[in-house]
Amino acid sequence: MPWQNNSGRQPPPWANMELTAEQLTKQLKSMLGKGFSGIWLIVIVLAGLWGISCFYTIQPGEAGVVQRFGKFVRITGPGLNLKLPAGLETLTKVRVQYIYTEEFGIRTIQAGVDTEYSSSREYLNESLMLTGDLNCAVVPWIVQFRLADPYKYLFKVRDVKKTLRDLSEAVMRQVVGDRSINEVITERLEIATAVKVELQKAVNEADTGITIVTVELKRATVPDPVQPSFNEVNQSLQEKERMIYEAREAYNKVVPEASGEAQRVLREAEGYALERINQAKGDAARFLSLWTEYANAKDVTRRRLYLEAMQDVLPKLGKTYIIDPEQGGLLPLLNLGEKLAEEKKP
Amino acid sequence: MKSRLLIAVIALLGIFIFGGVFYTVDETEQVVITQFGKPVGDPITDPGLQVKLPFIQNANVFPKTLLEWNGDPGQIPTQDKTFIYVETFARWRIKDPLKYYETVYNEIAAQKKLDDILDSATFNFISSHHLVEAVRNSNRLLEEEVIASAGLAESVQEQISIKLGRVGMNRGIMEQAKPKLEKFGIEIIDLRIKRINYVDEVQKKVYERMIAERKQISEKFRSEGKGESKKIEGERGKELQRINSEAYRQAQEIKGKADGEAARIYAGAYNKDPEFYSFLKTLDAYRKTIGKDSSVVLSTKSDFFKYLKGYEEKQ
Repeated sequence: MPWQNNSGRQPPPWANMELTAEQLTKQLKSMLGKGFSGIWLIVIVLAGLWGISCFYTIQPGEAGVVQRFGKFVRITGPGLNLKLPAGLETLTKVRVQYIYTEEFGIRTIQAGVDTEYSSSREYLNESLMLTGDLNCAVVPWIVQFRLADPYKYLFKVRDVKKTLRDLSEAVMRQVVGDRSINEVITERLEIATAVKVELQKAVNEADTGITIVTVELKRATVPDPVQPSFNEVNQSLQEKERMIYEAREAYNKVVPEASGEAQRVLREAEGYALERINQAKGDAARFLSLWTEYANAKDVTRRRLYLEAMQDVLPKLGKTYIIDPEQGGLLPLLNLGEKLAEEKKP
Repeated sequence: MKSRLLIAVIALLGIFIFGGVFYTVDETEQVVITQFGKPVGDPITDPGLQVKLPFIQNANVFPKTLLEWNGDPGQIPTQDKTFIYVETFARWRIKDPLKYYETVYNEIAAQKKLDDILDSATFNFISSHHLVEAVRNSNRLLEEEVIASAGLAESVQEQISIKLGRVGMNRGIMEQAKPKLEKFGIEIIDLRIKRINYVDEVQKKVYERMIAERKQISEKFRSEGKGESKKIEGERGKELQRINSEAYRQAQEIKGKADGEAARIYAGAYNKDPEFYSFLKTLDAYRKTIGKDSSVVLSTKSDFFKYLKGYEEKQ
């Protein structure tokens, strides 16, 4: 084991610390007794501290990257690990499982149940972009990623975070640049998916060692000055529907009623027809019965009918003048009507 | 004697450690060894512990990783005379540290060189192409039926035939700059247009256009609503007239049929004796038509009053 060679007379580093201390003092005493100088004490203490730097712990979700004289030698997993002491081997811990988030066009002020975001206006330079139809859209988004490959992350790119931010902005604009403003506003999920794929490609090409977990568009809108006119479009769409519904309402208000009314008119006509035919049949039957009897006794029936009619008619008359042509004048002889009317009144 | 040896050893160690015999090269670094300022030997790119001559040799450390560069060529007019701001970024690395050491020496100077070369390449490229070339990436059909039907954005649509697209543009700028940067030992890995924005005045005009576009669409919706509503209104009127007139027609038909039927029945009966019918009907008519307001002058010769003058049978 290499460190045994390096630390020479040192007790093995994995030994109990108390024991080491005891041994040290013992040695110290014996050394002092033999007349060694105090310099050795300092040397031994320093050597001990140096030896401690051989131990390190890696937390779950982390990876320990070890370099010997700057040269990458190995990646170690979670748990207690050993390395050559400081100066020979250096350790860098990378959180490989942790999901990092980068925000574009927004910033989380206070994460919590009701997460607060800062106004997107402040970061408009990040979120304002041109769409394929040369309109402007405001698209804030977030990218979540893991440092999946600690070797690439540490050694291949100087500023991984900045590279990711730049690439993310470029890719988002590239994807949005191929879509119309309407698509940008309505197809957030598709855009996010496309960006995720393209961005993963880009970070792979850039050797960043990053794995993109999600890309999420927070809200895609148009710039503030244009917003009212977009709202107006929605409003006018509502208005259109409202007008159509109102017209249908008016239609529905009268048409079924008119149908009912038409049915009524028809039924009435049918009623009229029935009445008319029944009346005709009744009248005809009555006439025929009467006629049958009349045929048997023509003269008498005729007289009777005439007289009955006169009996009915004459009392109703206003004035009746009866003239005897043999008298030669047209003087009224009797005012039957008046008299009869007076008799009837009381 | 023993102590003299010890001192010699310590002195040697001191020279080794503090005089710079050993030096480490990090995984992210590369080193050019210079002797009195003049490069010696090949650049050292292998990480690890390395040895050089103390005092007279110097280790110049340069990064081996991908480095970043952000470009800001400022306001650029495109070929279609639209003024835009373009922001670019690139990733580059020191490919030939020796050349790099000799020509640019440090990163500040390198960034300046990149600014000069990449910004002007960007400027040239953007200004010799239409704006859409830099914005769009393909000839993918945009979903803009609404706008197209409103009669706008057609002018934009017509001239679109993306030859380069943004990706092609990125590549073009890079290809143009690549040979110029090679002599500085710099290799450009990737250049991308990050942001494109209109300059403020153009921005205002674009907003106005967007607003006008939307207004047009709003008006279209509104008039569509009105039109549809009028159509329904007309439909309603027509439907009402149809229903009413049909009902009238059918009613008249029914009534007419009934009248006809009745006439047939009456005729069938009354034809037995028309004279008797007219006698009866006339009597009925007397009953109905003669009232209080009528006055009648009757002769004693009439059938009704003939007995007023006597009872004997007259004929």
